[in-house]
Amino acid sequence: MTKSLLDAILEPGALSVRFQPIFHLQNGERRVDSVEALIRGPRGTNFARADILFDYVRRKKAEVAMDQSCLTAVCDTVLRLPADVRVNVNVHASTLGQGSTFLEFFHRCMRKRALKLDRFTIEIVEHAPSYDAVQLGKSLSQLRDWGVRLALDDVGLGQSNYRMMLDCDPEYFKLDAYFVRDITKDPKRRAVVESLVALAARLESAVVAEAVASEEDLSRVTELGVDLVQANILCPAMPLEELQRLGHVKALPVAGTQLNPASETRDDRQFEGRTMTFSMAVGQSFYT
Amino acid sequence: MAKRVLIIDDDEQLLEACRDYLSEGGYEVDCARELEEAQSLMSYLPYSVIVTDLRLSKLAFGGLEIIKHVKEQALPTRVIVLTAYCWPELKSEASTSGADAFLRKPTRLKELGAAVDMLIGANA
Repeated sequence: MTKSLLDAILEPGALSVRFQPIFHLQNGERRVDSVEALIRGPRGTNFARADILFDYVRRKKAEVAMDQSCLTAVCDTVLRLPADVRVNVNVHASTLGQGSTFLEFFHRCMRKRALKLDRFTIEIVEHAPSYDAVQLGKSLSQLRDWGVRLALDDVGLGQSNYRMMLDCDPEYFKLDAYFVRDITKDPKRRAVVESLVALAARLESAVVAEAVASEEDLSRVTELGVDLVQANILCPAMPLEELQRLGHVKALPVAGTQLNPASETRDDRQFEGRTMTFSMAVGQSFYT
Repeated sequence: MAKRVLIIDDDEQLLEACRDYLSEGGYEVDCARELEEAQSLMSYLPYSVIVTDLRLSKLAFGGLEIIKHVKEQALPTRVIVLTAYCWPELKSEASTSGADAFLRKPTRLKELGAAVDMLIGANA
């Protein structure tokens, strides 16, 4: 039987990871606050582009499997990052709203690699018009108990609306590029960003401005009180080695803890099929 | 800028042959093997011409979904149906749905190239 396109995308080693730093800007200084892990599909295919890759996965309704494959790829790469570097990972709200499967997978991924859960921020993305808010709430509560931080991605667009702000209660609002682009020239965009910054402050969330495209726009967003910025003009998404070469994160000697991705994914697929109750896993502390 | 053509078929050899031929003709060519892959490409890239089989993703008439998508989105894209099915009713349905040309498999690459040239010329 020939392998389907989706299988080819999800198979171990097919996805690659890029990292883009999120900078904390203060008093004219820039330091890396965290890095967002960004996924690319197999090289030389239509899915090398992230937008096409994720659009396809959503059309195939394979968000859960994709989020798991992405997490595996990210965790394998994060092993080569210093332990004090915080990492943002994108997960669909629908994945988190489908019960404990993903959380079990997440916990297992971390435990296998001895990665601390509290260095991760889950960026919640959603494109589907509906999700199970009750189950999503339970999943987010569990993540919080583990010390995982939450960010709402693409705030202001699509499903990242006021309801999602309340349902997710994120630590970070990530403002979509649509509102930040040309903020210097467009007073209406500036008004929207101002209102979101004020709302975030009331909700005790920090704001990250994404895709700031010019130094003028960068000055403008910082004047408005945004001190976390992710932008190609500061540093585009790049492979870890490149990020280390540029000095944004320190290089780490390769440890002997790298797992065999193929065997690990097979294990995880078996794990998915088990009926283990989630409370068994969450009641234990692996990080004392 | 080179005109972009999308070819949709689950036959890898056909895709490769069409890609090579049309690329040599100066077109930028993408290939899709599934309906969903094609729809994702169409969401992000502008195509001047789409060449589609009728049977896609195990759907006997998945190609009609492509034509429907083009028409619903009012895309400035011409569609060529390339299929082994040659029933008059089917040809009529594809045409009614908005297909601009109908080629029967097996077809000569030269014939396909001429159809693409003609439709792109008509679009220009």
